[in-house]
Amino acid sequence: MIKEIKPTVFVVDDDAAVRDSLRMLLKSVGLPVEVFESGQEFLDADRDDRPGCLVLDIRMPGMSGLELQVKLNERHSILPVIFITGHGDVPMAVEAMQAGAVDFIQKPFRDQDLLDRINQALEKDAGSRRMLAERNMIRKRLESLTPREKEVLDLVVAGKANKVIAGDLNLSQRTVEIHRARVMEKMEAHSLAHLVRMVLEVERVEE
Amino acid sequence: MHEEHPPTAAEHATPGTVPARPDQAAFEFRSLLDAAVDAIIVIDHRGRIEQFSLSAERTFGYAAAEVIGRNVDVLMPAPYRAEHDTYMERYQQTGEARIIGTGREVQARRKDGSVFPCELAVGKVQGVVPPRFIGFIRDITLRRLADERLRRSESALQLAQELANLGNYVVHLDRSEPDYCSPQLCRILGIGAAEAALPLTELLERWVHPGDRTEFDEACRELDSPGHVFDCEYRIVLEDGTTRHLHHIAQVTRDAQGTPLKHSGTIHDVTDRRATEDEAQQLQERLTHFSRLSTMGEMAAGLAHEINQPLAAIATYAQACQRFLRAPDRDDADVLEALEQINAQALRAGEVIRRLRNFVKNREVKREPVDCNRLLEDLRTLAETDARLHNIRLRIDAEPSLPMVYADPIQLQQVVLNLVRNAIDAMSEAPETRREVLLSTHWLPEGHIEIIVADHGSGLAPGAAEHLFNPFFTTKSSGTGLGLAISHSIVRAHGGRLWHTPNEGTGARFHFTLPASPASKQGSSSE
Repeated sequence: MIKEIKPTVFVVDDDAAVRDSLRMLLKSVGLPVEVFESGQEFLDADRDDRPGCLVLDIRMPGMSGLELQVKLNERHSILPVIFITGHGDVPMAVEAMQAGAVDFIQKPFRDQDLLDRINQALEKDAGSRRMLAERNMIRKRLESLTPREKEVLDLVVAGKANKVIAGDLNLSQRTVEIHRARVMEKMEAHSLAHLVRMVLEVERVEE
Repeated sequence: MHEEHPPTAAEHATPGTVPARPDQAAFEFRSLLDAAVDAIIVIDHRGRIEQFSLSAERTFGYAAAEVIGRNVDVLMPAPYRAEHDTYMERYQQTGEARIIGTGREVQARRKDGSVFPCELAVGKVQGVVPPRFIGFIRDITLRRLADERLRRSESALQLAQELANLGNYVVHLDRSEPDYCSPQLCRILGIGAAEAALPLTELLERWVHPGDRTEFDEACRELDSPGHVFDCEYRIVLEDGTTRHLHHIAQVTRDAQGTPLKHSGTIHDVTDRRATEDEAQQLQERLTHFSRLSTMGEMAAGLAHEINQPLAAIATYAQACQRFLRAPDRDDADVLEALEQINAQALRAGEVIRRLRNFVKNREVKREPVDCNRLLEDLRTLAETDARLHNIRLRIDAEPSLPMVYADPIQLQQVVLNLVRNAIDAMSEAPETRREVLLSTHWLPEGHIEIIVADHGSGLAPGAAEHLFNPFFTTKSSGTGLGLAISHSIVRAHGGRLWHTPNEGTGARFHFTLPASPASKQGSSSE
């Protein structure tokens, strides 16, 4: 089972005042927050697989916000990123969006705008994490199948009848029925349709 | 004047003959003639040569035999030649002599045709009939040459003084001779010859500009001590109110006992040069200021960002405050902390604007003791503006306890900011790990402070290095190309040097030195 960790807002900004004011704002609405003064500090803290979202200054001395985003993508982080930009940073913001950022906001900003974006990002993160958890669960169930049960499953998902499967695998129809029942049980499938959906969900990602 | 009588007909004798005389007297006369240094020629009343002395032979190149009996005009060049007969005739008829008994300078002609200046004195031989005349001729070619040379060198000196606008004077302290004041010096001081007779030093003393009085008096005291020279640049205000800049060099000559004999000196009118220098300096200052303005123009985006940062923080703190206050279980400590920060950030924004205004203000160049480490810290805000915009770190490595330098702080900031911005531009393509500008200060043993701006950028192209400090040379697409040229002249004006070396690994290092201000050891900020 996945451990429940409360989603956290991670703030990376080199400007102490901006960083601290964000910390206070998020604290005022009761959101857990952690602040970092550089991209490297954030990477070193290994927070990128935690649930939450990242509020990231686009311009920073040393590793820029964009460079941190690239590094996170390389580490397959799914943390949604909200960029904070200054005036005239639109081209950089576009680049950030193309690299997968969920949003950007120009400073100074209205607190509600930022909080709305953070909430959206947290929902997106929760959704992604649910989906990932589900996929992991399906994979685990698939891994629990014997090779024979796996063969039966593939043919069932391909839409073949038990009789045809028995012929294909050179088994008795009765044996196929037993395997099929075991598969439904191990996969915790409520119905044939449910079983097919689960298998497709995993295969789509693995293509 | 001699009394002259026109010759009578009875006085006429046979031409070309000497009247009979005792041999002894003739011999003595001849010896006298030949012993004389001056050429001596005796002619008769018609102008024919009767006697031609040895020195006359030497002077004119004729042997006596060649000219005896010939008209004396053979020894004269035109127009004297034609005139001589007229003189003779006039004398014969009127007894009016223009030359007899006096001397005058005339031109004479040698046998070879060459003409020379001579001094001629003519006398009438008394008691002979018809009358005879005796001429004494002195070749004054050499004297004339010497006179001419003297005249030329005097006029050359005057011309030189005029061109250089330089005059000289001599004051004879022992009153052995009258004081001298060259014509050009009279012109410089706007005085006539009469005033020049006044003791010159008193005039200057009276006219010295009050602002230069101290220096003038100090230089005068120098002059009182033997072996010392007066060398002073000062202003004087003339009677008509005009101001002149003088460069005055003088010395006193003393006898063996050390008693002052004379005081001589030169006075150079440097008013025009000073005006040109002042103008050039003003132009340089305007250019320097213009360059600062244009730098700020180029940095506008970064500066806007720099001011936006505290504003963004203030807005966020204020919004957090509102939320804290609305919360049912509010914690006043949070509110207080946020308010404190709002205050600090408002001051921070104000500080950015203050530094910006200081930097671009059109102000008098003013040198004062400056702590270089403090200067770099003060500059950090402006310098980091550009650095942040390009995701570049700015690091300062200051050597502690530096002596002060005597400098204009804003101009020094301008130099450093310019070097930092160049370093940032050079690193726009550099990978993230190398994006750092290092500013460092060093105390050099020979009494200089060195400031180094090092980058890890692309370094200097081989061709660029030699033009680097030329005005309008630039490798950038924007910018005036004046930055380095101006930095160079600022550093030089402060008695320092600006140069560059390659950085270890990659990039460039720009160094500049400033002489440490004396009597300011350990003057570094200790706050």
